[in-house]
Order: sequence, then structure tokens, then C-alpha cells
Amino acid sequence: MTVFKPIETYADQAPDHTYQNSREAILRLPFPYPEDHYMYSMNVEPHVPFGTGALRGQFDIDEHYVSECHHRAQTLAAQPGVHYAALPHMMEAQWDLLELLMESYSRDYPEHFTLEKSGTQWHWINRPLQIDDTFTFGDASTLPMEPMEYITRQAQGEFILLEERDDTLVMGAGMATQRADYSLRFNLGMSFMEFHGPVPKLHEMGILQRALKFLLRLRPGHPVRRTNWSITVNPRLETSAETLPDWAPERTLVTAENAGDLVNLRIELQPLHRLPRSNAVLFPVRTYLVSLKQLAEFAPQWAKRMHRVIRDLDQELVDYKGFTRYRDAMVTWLSQYDDGTPVDESQQ
Amino acid sequence: MLITGIKSRPVYDRLQPMTGGLRHLIAGQGSGGAAMLRLIADMSPSQRQHSTLLYSTESFSGHDHLQALRELKVAGLEVFPSNQALIEALARKLNEAHMGTRLYLSGSESFIGTAMQAANAVDLNRDEVLREHSGTLVRRVWCAHCDTYTENVTHRVFTCPGCQLDLVVRDHYSRRLAAFQGIKADGEVPGELPAAEELDT
Repeated sequence: MTVFKPIETYADQAPDHTYQNSREAILRLPFPYPEDHYMYSMNVEPHVPFGTGALRGQFDIDEHYVSECHHRAQTLAAQPGVHYAALPHMMEAQWDLLELLMESYSRDYPEHFTLEKSGTQWHWINRPLQIDDTFTFGDASTLPMEPMEYITRQAQGEFILLEERDDTLVMGAGMATQRADYSLRFNLGMSFMEFHGPVPKLHEMGILQRALKFLLRLRPGHPVRRTNWSITVNPRLETSAETLPDWAPERTLVTAENAGDLVNLRIELQPLHRLPRSNAVLFPVRTYLVSLKQLAEFAPQWAKRMHRVIRDLDQELVDYKGFTRYRDAMVTWLSQYDDGTPVDESQQ
Repeated sequence: MLITGIKSRPVYDRLQPMTGGLRHLIAGQGSGGAAMLRLIADMSPSQRQHSTLLYSTESFSGHDHLQALRELKVAGLEVFPSNQALIEALARKLNEAHMGTRLYLSGSESFIGTAMQAANAVDLNRDEVLREHSGTLVRRVWCAHCDTYTENVTHRVFTCPGCQLDLVVRDHYSRRLAAFQGIKADGEVPGELPAAEELDT
């Protein structure tokens, strides 16, 4: 049973933030580097339950669940209209999403969530957030807000709904209080190739074309997953294009001495689902933040691997992910955990 | 024709008569008048009789084709002093339009983009609209920090009139906002600005 921490603060909420990971939270991470070298690839696999960590549930929750929901509520209140947006024709997909999250959470974490259905009368209990609501499925007037906003305020991670149109996927709605340097309002309505436009190499490598073909064949009940990652200074969930003036200056603070404390590996677990009524595709981004220091302390084999990945990473990816200024500092700090021997994950 | 490496920037067309159309709405601005004239010349007499022209004399580069447009034998010509006024009239016409209407747009990217917002509001299909870019490569830019739109941006770095931040124009275009994205240029270190190169030259 997941035990939730009391409400923590992230770096975008308070300068003296309290966010920390337990040893257990780190060992269950979906570590994104399968090899010592990293390059983009079609790293997609069937989203079936695996192990006892982040890949066990359909939508993973961990010890930060309550803190993250609290962060979402605060972020939405601080900038209305910036972090949640839905085009009007996406309502059916919104209900699809609500159903999928409620069914998944109540099935995977019955100690925390209960869903009772009597026809279209649904009863939803969320114990950690002390929510107990009854509503009519399909009737938005019986919920306090739109179904997507309602359910994603109770979920960890970002959620983007993509509509299939003109042989592509078009961004139709999003709850994105923890996005990595993009603007939801700006990207809304863009097609798959358009919203991936700024990402280097993908177009030339042909990965986007293959990924889109693959996703257009996605069937309900057969989700797939992939991981992605970035680097963030301080445990800051909200790093949107809109608030760049708030977080980008922190990139100048990193030195080889303090990189362990300041630099966080930002892991994204993305379990993609085809939704049954709307035929929309759900693109969730479940974000995990872990400081290099905590990673090295509890998972030294992963720190060793990360040293090699970051040291040898293609410069275009470094620039795109935004750590050009402090890559060398990170590599120096991580190098103390690399003795040159092969990475052995069973040893940590 | 405008060809760049910007994946989200629309690929523009060349205006030519759409044979399936029963009524033709042809809207242009400034130097876009040349494409309108060429389109009308390519049309059959019957297509011309079912064509309504909307022309705005607002132009960043100073081109004006109004005289030549006045001499055309078409169903009607409406002239506007600003792009904004034209697009408002276009939105009203599209709201009342019937099946079989075809839309042709020619002018600056900003003009085409904002006119497309009106077309998308009535869900015109992709094969019911043609867009031809003309004139300069100036950009309309949306400030991610204060939501201000700036027309006719010519350089990579400019000062946002809304929040006074120095913005860098990203090579990323949103059709919904009809604009490129501008974000704080010296986000990491105040005063450390990227080169203010001329855009698309």
C-alpha cells in the first residue's frame, strides 16, 4: 500500500521547498536509460503491468500523490486558463478519460479509491483527498467542473487528449501544470508533426513518422508506454514557457560542487491509450523528479550510468533539453560515482 | 514561396480556381492583390460572376492593387482600410455562407493566419481554402508571458510592448493563435541576449 507523505512543497511553490524522495520512491522509478548511451529511438512497448514499481499500475501513483494534487490546485488557481484548456468538441473524450482514470485507480489502488456504478449514476470516493461525490456519467452539469479538469485534479501527471483527424493526431485538450518548457495555449490545436516541430533530430531520423503511424493503429484496451526525460534545476514541477523568467535563471546556479543538490533528473513515463467512445488518444506524462544526490545515494548504479549518458550526449539534445550551461558541472559531479566497471542494476 | 525548416509553419498554396465551388470568396491584403488579379484572370466568366472580392489596403510594404481590382468584372468588391476590418467582415460572410463556398486568401502570413481563424470558426474543410503568401516575411508574435500580440516583427529579438521584456522569437507557429511564440530572450542571465538577426533572410 502506498503511504502518502504529508503535503510537500515544490521549488516553484516555495524557495525553501520540502520535496524529497524516500529510498523506496527512488528504487521504484522508471529509470529512462537502458544503456550507457542515449539517443532517440522508437522506445515503445506494450503497457502491461510489470514488477512492483512504477510500471505496476495503469496510471502510477507514489508517495507524492497528495502533494502533487495540492500543487496542481495551487498552480491552476495562480494562473487561470494557462495550465488547463479544452477545445469545445472534446467533451466525449473528457468523459472517456474520467472513466479510464476512475476505473484504473479504483482497480489498482482499492485501498485509496472506490468507484460504484449504478447505470449512469456513479459514486466516486477518493480517500486521500477526502472526496466523496455522486454524479451522472455523461452529464457535465452534475460535476463541479468539466470532467477532465475534475478527474485530473485528482491524478498524478499531465494529461493531453489528442483527436484523430486528417490522418494525424491533433491536440484538443490538456491538463498541464508540470510541462517542460512548452505552452499549452500555444500548442492547442496543433497536429502531431507541428507540436513536435521544435524537437531536434526526430524529423530527420524518421522517428516521428513511424511513431505517428504506430499511434494511429492504437486500439482500445491495448495501451503502450514509453519513457522520456529531461533535466531540471531544483525540484520544480511547473516549468512552462509562460513562467520561463521564473525558472531559467536557476540554470546559472549550478556548479560541480552543488550539482548533486540542485540538479534533478526529470523522468517522464508516458502510457498512451486509445479511448473507446471518442476514438481520441490519451497522452499522459507522469513526471518523477529526483536529485542527483538522492539518486547516487540510493541507486548508485543508475548514477554511474547517468554519468556516461550525460557525458556522451549529443550536443543538440543537450541544447534542446536546456542544460548546456551546466552539463560539465553535472558530469564532474556524477563522475565520482563512475568507477568504469559495467553497470549492474542488481547491485543497488 | 515561403519554404523554411519550421515544422509548425503552414505550407502555403498558389491561388487557382477551385472547380467544385459555387461561390468564391476572395480576400486579400496589400501585395496579395497581385495573386487576386491572377486568380480572377484564370477563372471562367461564370466563376468571375460568382466571385466576391474583399481587399484591405493596409500594407507593411506599401503595395496597393486597388485600382486594378476595381476594373475587374466580378460580383462585388468590398474595400477595407485595415486587415482587422476585412477579417471581421469575412467572419460575418462565412457565418452566412452556404455549401459550395470556396475561400481564397492572399497576403502576409499574419493576415492569412488571422483570416484562417475565421475560417476555422465555421469548420471550413482543408480542400475548401487556398492560401497564397505574398509580401514580406514579417511575423506576428505572441508573448508567452503577457499574452500580447505584436505585428510585423522583423528581428529575432524585440521588446514586447505589453510587458517590456526582450523576447526571442521561436521558430514555432500556432495556427490557433495565428502567431509565432515569443519568450524572454535573456531568461537565464539578464542582459545576455541572443543575436538579433533579421528573420527569414
